[in-house]
Amino acid sequence: MLATLEPGLQTHNSAASVRIAVKGLDFYYNEHKALKNINLDFRDRHVTALIGPSGCGKSTLLRIFNRIYSLYPEQRATGEVLLDGQNIIGNGIDINELRSRIGMVFQKPTPFPMSIYDNVAFGIRLYEKPAKSELDDRVEAALRRSALWDEVKDKLKMSGMGLSGGQQQRLCIARTIAQKPEVILFDEPTSALDPISTGKIEDLLEQLKSEFTIVIVTHNMQQAARISAYTAFMYLGEVIEFDTTNNIFLNPGKKQTQDYVTGRFG
Amino acid sequence: MGANMGPLKDQTVANRASVHRGVSGGLFDPIFRNASFIAALLVLVLLAGIMISMIVGGWPAFREMGFGFLTSSVWDTQNDKYGAWPAIVGTLSTAVIALVIGLPLSLGIAVYLTQLAPPWLKQPVATTIELLAAVPSIIYGMWGLFVFVPLFATYVQQPVSRIVEGMPVVGTIFYAASPSGLGILSAGFILAFMIIPFIASITRDMLEQIPSVLRESAYGIGATTWEVVRYVLVPQAGISIIGAVMLGLGRALGETMAVTFVVGNANRLSASIMDPGSTIASRIANEFNEAIGLQLNALIALGCILFFVTFVVLVIARLLVARVKRY
Amino acid sequence: MSETVIPLLQPAPQPRVRRVRKARRVADRMMRIIAAGFTLMAVTVLFWILGMLIVKGVSGLSLATFTQTLPGPGTEGGGLANAIVGSIILTFLGIAIATPIGVLAGTYLAEYGGSSKLANLIRFINDILLSAPSILIGLFVYVILVEPFGGYSGWAGGVALGIIAIPVIVRTTEDMLRLVPASLREAGAALGAPPSIVITSITWRAAKAGMVTGILLALARIAGETAPLIFTALNNSFWFSPTLLGGVSNLPVTIYQFASAPYDNWQQLAWAGSLIITASILLISTVARRLVRGSK
Repeated sequence: MLATLEPGLQTHNSAASVRIAVKGLDFYYNEHKALKNINLDFRDRHVTALIGPSGCGKSTLLRIFNRIYSLYPEQRATGEVLLDGQNIIGNGIDINELRSRIGMVFQKPTPFPMSIYDNVAFGIRLYEKPAKSELDDRVEAALRRSALWDEVKDKLKMSGMGLSGGQQQRLCIARTIAQKPEVILFDEPTSALDPISTGKIEDLLEQLKSEFTIVIVTHNMQQAARISAYTAFMYLGEVIEFDTTNNIFLNPGKKQTQDYVTGRFG
Repeated sequence: MGANMGPLKDQTVANRASVHRGVSGGLFDPIFRNASFIAALLVLVLLAGIMISMIVGGWPAFREMGFGFLTSSVWDTQNDKYGAWPAIVGTLSTAVIALVIGLPLSLGIAVYLTQLAPPWLKQPVATTIELLAAVPSIIYGMWGLFVFVPLFATYVQQPVSRIVEGMPVVGTIFYAASPSGLGILSAGFILAFMIIPFIASITRDMLEQIPSVLRESAYGIGATTWEVVRYVLVPQAGISIIGAVMLGLGRALGETMAVTFVVGNANRLSASIMDPGSTIASRIANEFNEAIGLQLNALIALGCILFFVTFVVLVIARLLVARVKRY
Repeated sequence: MSETVIPLLQPAPQPRVRRVRKARRVADRMMRIIAAGFTLMAVTVLFWILGMLIVKGVSGLSLATFTQTLPGPGTEGGGLANAIVGSIILTFLGIAIATPIGVLAGTYLAEYGGSSKLANLIRFINDILLSAPSILIGLFVYVILVEPFGGYSGWAGGVALGIIAIPVIVRTTEDMLRLVPASLREAGAALGAPPSIVITSITWRAAKAGMVTGILLALARIAGETAPLIFTALNNSFWFSPTLLGGVSNLPVTIYQFASAPYDNWQQLAWAGSLIITASILLISTVARRLVRGSK
């Protein structure tokens, strides 16, 4: 009933299968325990938002899913993160291969020091050896899907670093989806962008969710409400509440959640 | 700082502060300012002085030999005929060899220190590499002459000479007529170790300045460490690495003592890098104290050539390194 | 690809099996091994050099090394006393010349010069002098001090070493002064202190450890310099004149002359001298490093 008040809120399909299941996850920076006993399910081809005040561990959690944290020897995770049933934080995982299946878009745009074309083709070339024409098609398709094609089609050989911030971020999204990952992680993808670029990226996310399982960390509550089907509210390294976005924003079960989403704290 | 000096010119205030310090009134301020200005100008004067003294000191030799000073291979003290060609070639070839050996080593070290080394090992190894730069040139010469050269003669020069003898091209470049271990290639090896700390630490700094989010996003699409380094980090540091290389080249060109110990100090030009040769710096160091008359001028003229070559290289190096630092 | 077609509902994508191609894995592995190997190689060279100095140098060390003067050709025994004292004098002479000039010039660049064209030019030229071949500085001093004044002297040697030290001190002084927060200068100025007083009694004091480090690094840099001394102070087998006129004995040139001499005692002394000089330099560098890390 209340849902009608917020027309932007996303519908969800509770029948969708679970793509990533987090079970009893703890995370440490050296001896400091940054995440405590996290249990969450991420549903296939839905957007799940992670919200919470700064330092609550939402980015830390996101960085576990593609094991970027493994770059830093002082960071470690215990527990289970099951991607299609396989524990990806266990031993014997090919981290590089995992990362090609779970793409990530960072807070700041990160174009590589190469041409726009090569930026998008980089990830494809790592794992596949497509013919030139197929590669061209894949690059074009990725740039179209990230709504960048019209702006860059005449300057594909130019450096990716010459684009504007919003364009760079869409280039990074193109680079990620060109690899055809199964899951895409977004770490505050619009926090460094102006409102117009932010709008474009949100439209993009809207389209991508039909194909990819998306996890997004955001500071922006409206953004979470607009684009996600599920939302987890985190505080001090714990998941306080996890539910459909409708429920989190309109009918939260915990007082802390309510305080946060109504802007009374954090 | 110049901008905020206006309000400070208030004499009464300045005087009161000076009374506390027991210096004479408003005088100390302009004196100090001018003294520091003159000291700074002295830096320019020094470089200009070096340039002028090299030109003036070498002028008689340039005048006597003309353009032939650069191209002639004769170095005849009896008849006062001097040509710089063998020393120029020796200088360039030892420096290039040093780069060819030193650059990959330096890049490897920089990559190891920034990407691969376990945290507890990073600092000690980085310090050790930097200490390589503190070891005096003459000590490299001692190590080169007494440790490296004999090993090089036995395990490299002799076997290689035996293999390449009689072969076209390779037989010319790598055949040692007298495999004593001394020579252009040995000097290049020693120089390589001397320039490694410079190139490696600049490259390391450049790689460290790259924001970690770029590195993470390259790993994030499944690239291996090698791919991240090869396609993202090194191109990103790109031009400044070239600057670091030029800086190393500048060092290698002018390095004196270590080269003098191991280069063999031959005045003639050989087509083989295994044979003894000489560089501008080694020639000067060797002959200077016994030189008189035109020979002395010829040696300073050699120094003049060295000055201009290293000046150009160092200017390019500084421009490249500085350009990136501003970003 | 004529228009944007976005497939809306597809069947759930099956996880595709991807393999990191073997070639990529091998390349990565090789790179790791090579990079570690290169690092090991460079580290080995340092320890090899140190080991060589200790093995060959310690046997040449004795009381006589520090009390007797350099032996003549064919004479037994002898020591490095005059060379050690000469080296210390020349090095400190160099630092004594370079410190006031370097500190003042660095102060100008950090406090007065700003980003004016002249200041940028001075910075640039200073960076070039920083890596200029030391042999050229020796030749320069020969031309301006040795030739016109009729002979080698310790003064010329000290000036040559000083010129090598100046750019090092200029650079570190400027860098260290720039680290001092502007608020400190403003607070000093707000009390009515003129710039010279703010600089000498506040900024310099705040940057002291870093500036001392710069001077120590310059000391380490010039202590082992050989090439410039060949043209300036040369060497002297005997105790040099207290006026420092004429040749002044010093360790680096002694090592150069003795290392490949046909006399055993000369060679031994060359090794002992190498050990002494390298140990002192590495000690100074390490202390300087500690200082700068402590001050950060």
